[in-house]
Amino acid sequence: MISFQQFSFQYQKLTEPTLRNINLEIQPGEKILIAGPSGSGKSTLAHCINGLIPFTYEGKIEGTMTINGEPTTGKSIFEISKTVGTILQDLDGQFIGLSVGEDVAFSFENDGIPRKQMREEVERALTTVNMLPFIDQSPHDLSGGQKQRVSLAGILSTQADILLFDEPLANLDPASGKQAMQMIDDIHKQTGKTIIIIEHRIEDVLEQPIDRIVVMSEGEIQAIGTPDEILASDVLRKHGLREPLYIEALKYAGCELSTADKLAQLNNMRLPKFEHALEAWYESAAASTEVQNREPLLDVQNLRFAYDEAHEVIRGVSFQVHEGEIVSLLGNNGAGKSTLSHLIMGIVRQTSGEIRLQGEDIRPWNIRLRGEKIGYVMQNPNQMITQHMIWDEVALGLTVRGMSKEIVDQKVEHVLRICGLYPYRNWPISALSYGQKKRVTIAAVLAMEPKLIILDEPTAGQDYKHYTEFMEFISSLSQTGLSFIFITHDMHLALEYTDRAVVLSGGEVIASDRVASVLTNAEVIERANLKETSLSMLSRMIGLPSAEGFVQHFINYEKKVKHHE
Amino acid sequence: MNQKSIFNFSTLVVVAIGIGAALYGFLGFFGFTVGPATWIKPAVAFLTIFGALFGPVIGFLIGFIGHVITDLMSGGGVWWGWALGSGLIGLFSGFVYLSKGFNVKAGAYAKKHLYQIVAFGFLGCLVGMGEATIFDVLFMGEPLDKMLVQFWGAFLSNIVVVAILGLPIILAILRVNKKSTNLTIEK
Amino acid sequence: MSKMGTLYAPGDSVFHRMDGSIKMLLFAAWTITTFLFLDLRVFIVMLLIGTILLLSAKIPFRQIRILLWVMIVFNVFNTAFIILITPTYGSELTGTNTPVLNIGYNTINLETLFYVLTLTAKYLTLLPVSLLFIFTTHPSKFASSLNRIGVPYKIAYAVNIAFRYIPDIQSEFRGITNSMQMRGIGFRKGDAPFTQRVKNVTSIAIPMLYSSLQRIEVVSNAMELRGFGKHKRRTWYAMEDLRAMDYTVGALCILVTASAIWLKIGVLSGFWYPF
Repeated sequence: MISFQQFSFQYQKLTEPTLRNINLEIQPGEKILIAGPSGSGKSTLAHCINGLIPFTYEGKIEGTMTINGEPTTGKSIFEISKTVGTILQDLDGQFIGLSVGEDVAFSFENDGIPRKQMREEVERALTTVNMLPFIDQSPHDLSGGQKQRVSLAGILSTQADILLFDEPLANLDPASGKQAMQMIDDIHKQTGKTIIIIEHRIEDVLEQPIDRIVVMSEGEIQAIGTPDEILASDVLRKHGLREPLYIEALKYAGCELSTADKLAQLNNMRLPKFEHALEAWYESAAASTEVQNREPLLDVQNLRFAYDEAHEVIRGVSFQVHEGEIVSLLGNNGAGKSTLSHLIMGIVRQTSGEIRLQGEDIRPWNIRLRGEKIGYVMQNPNQMITQHMIWDEVALGLTVRGMSKEIVDQKVEHVLRICGLYPYRNWPISALSYGQKKRVTIAAVLAMEPKLIILDEPTAGQDYKHYTEFMEFISSLSQTGLSFIFITHDMHLALEYTDRAVVLSGGEVIASDRVASVLTNAEVIERANLKETSLSMLSRMIGLPSAEGFVQHFINYEKKVKHHE
Repeated sequence: MNQKSIFNFSTLVVVAIGIGAALYGFLGFFGFTVGPATWIKPAVAFLTIFGALFGPVIGFLIGFIGHVITDLMSGGGVWWGWALGSGLIGLFSGFVYLSKGFNVKAGAYAKKHLYQIVAFGFLGCLVGMGEATIFDVLFMGEPLDKMLVQFWGAFLSNIVVVAILGLPIILAILRVNKKSTNLTIEK
Repeated sequence: MSKMGTLYAPGDSVFHRMDGSIKMLLFAAWTITTFLFLDLRVFIVMLLIGTILLLSAKIPFRQIRILLWVMIVFNVFNTAFIILITPTYGSELTGTNTPVLNIGYNTINLETLFYVLTLTAKYLTLLPVSLLFIFTTHPSKFASSLNRIGVPYKIAYAVNIAFRYIPDIQSEFRGITNSMQMRGIGFRKGDAPFTQRVKNVTSIAIPMLYSSLQRIEVVSNAMELRGFGKHKRRTWYAMEDLRAMDYTVGALCILVTASAIWLKIGVLSGFWYPF
């Protein structure tokens, strides 16, 4: 179906090829996962398949690529798009129409299909993805998962034989991500189309059957194999990708993994072989260290807020953040997470209740006064960076406060050193990688010397290696007494790096406890659109006394391993 | 956008017009009042920038469509003369794009291009606001003397925006895009 | 502003059901007719008709009220402006001079007062039909309607993109300004001296610009991959067939514009001054 032979590609502006010696055969009806860290070339490979290379991004191609036996050179992007349908990672970029129906109709419109026929086809496509009742809704009324369904309907309607998903999980909460993978699998089974998924969140993709995994790194294919083969080896870890948590647990417990163990899906795995080792490992767990009682830094008491009289979005929320603590704020879209952070930052004011910082009621403080004590870091660093040079960006908040140049320089230098950016101090920000830009935004907030920093999806868009580096950096900051609130959908992040989780649902706190305990509580998981981790499933399957204890042991163990590395 | 043709309406161009107009249309709501019936509209700086990035035809359409959108969203009726005026500022801002050796994306420019940005910017404001003035005199029946006062207000506030917002921003982008050589990791 | 980026208010009046292209034609005919005259009698007739049309569309008055006030405030200022700068302009149109009030450097005359009354009526006349158009036209209909009245579909589609992404740009703008304010960067009067505020405004421009350029790339890729621009023509999901009423109103618009031009040339050519 798709075949790459000795294929290389070099972007016009770059001096090095991004793809090297790609040899890959994808069979009709196959479901394949292409995984790799950032910069591995996996997105470039996707562009080659859907025709954006060479039509939009020009460069030098060597070797051959064929679709259905025909070389793609000389074909137009329209011809290719008849065969390959693509769902982009950016859900708002992909959703072009002003309403659901309009967006699904987009390809029909371009083909000049008469309106009557178009309506029928649109309704049929929306029925396939269970979105027909939303046909007149605007994209701004839909959740990420719903937008993705609409996009899928739009692509299905084109009758393309190959469906290409570019990071389909990137912008979804855990439960929606699970549903998305389920839906992709249903479509694969019903239509027999070839499915190509580009992702680095391997565990979530593998919840549904996958035929083969292609592991890419540094522009080359490092391994191709069935999920069982790939998971039994250590190729993922070697190339900066995260293995599923249960596989990591098995490896920590010293289990010998082989292809015959059916590792790809937890439910089918040959569990008895590992039971003994896992139990032994679990028993080796040291009694968990008690969290010492620290001073509360932020104290939110019975907070209420409504945008209009009819809809109260925050309904009596109370929680604390202690000094040096990292708290994750979890919950489904629309649970009130961003409204709550806006209330803390003073962008909107509560109708009743109190927010205290170091014991002082901050109700009268305006947004700028709060900004001196509470830092806020947006998800996308490109939306925060306002200057061209790193130094200026970090100095900005200090300069506008009217500090003298010497003090500003001194503070900026200090912060840049902490953040590991000092060597780049004279670089333009545009020359930095995404992760480095993220660090610049943290540095800019740190320079203001806040007590608490709110991070919105701190690890979005980062692969495992950068994620680990970044989070280790944040933990080291928390050691100095700085507190953090993470607003996140990433369960792994919450588990590994936060001391406590506050779970919101429908504007109320439904749980506030250690993360391992929250993520093993079925009711909380259900209500807040979270997802049970494979670790707690594993511990239930082998009948360990406490899933929470197992998860906690895993986290403690992993921290030790990471610090030894 | 490799061929610098003015009438190359690729998908990218269509989207650039749409997003540019959305940006200009939305930001058009914001302004500092500096005198009676005169306000500084910082959004005009985006016409300078988009003109330099995409050329005169796109610049014109962004200005015109964007202005009509601002008017439609604010609901007080469409001021066609002034919308056309915004379009003309966009058009003139785009002429530098046609100049040899100028390319924002590659950071390629010479000193003369900066003079051109200012000169075309000012000319655009002159022609654009002049057109809007004449339009109101001819079609609304406004007195010429009164419109001349408004013309000077609008003209001056727009050239101020071009000079103190538009030009510095383009210059900054050009400098950054100019291939960042000599990037060394300093200890 | 609604989530759709325009002021569209759903409803089921004649105008809600009328095709967008016909409403554009009506809007154009009305605007041209208003532009032609400087005659209070014409404007009073048109204002009456316009108000009736507007009432029949049953737009909630609450939504119109503020716009009406904006228009009134504009007219008060515009009038004051004209009277102060050109207190005797009316005489240039009529050739007569009837002094009313001495304001030191000049004397306001009756002709000018009657002229500003006419001009105010002219501005007000434009309002009802533009409100009608804005409040009853769903943003989805803009692009297809423009295409129907002859605008090339690629330009018409750019309008669609603009409406689609205004709310996104708006929320992005909010996020950017909030995060900047938290870092102590103010934009309002009193936050910082004027020159600093100008610098601060420049600072918003950079992230807005870069994220827009990125958006342009993503959206254009998405459209290209779904076949935009494949053919010389395209059809529109949001477009409906013209009905009898649409043809009638369309024909009426052309007829009215033609008679307005005839009226202008033949009968009511100049400024009407009864005294």
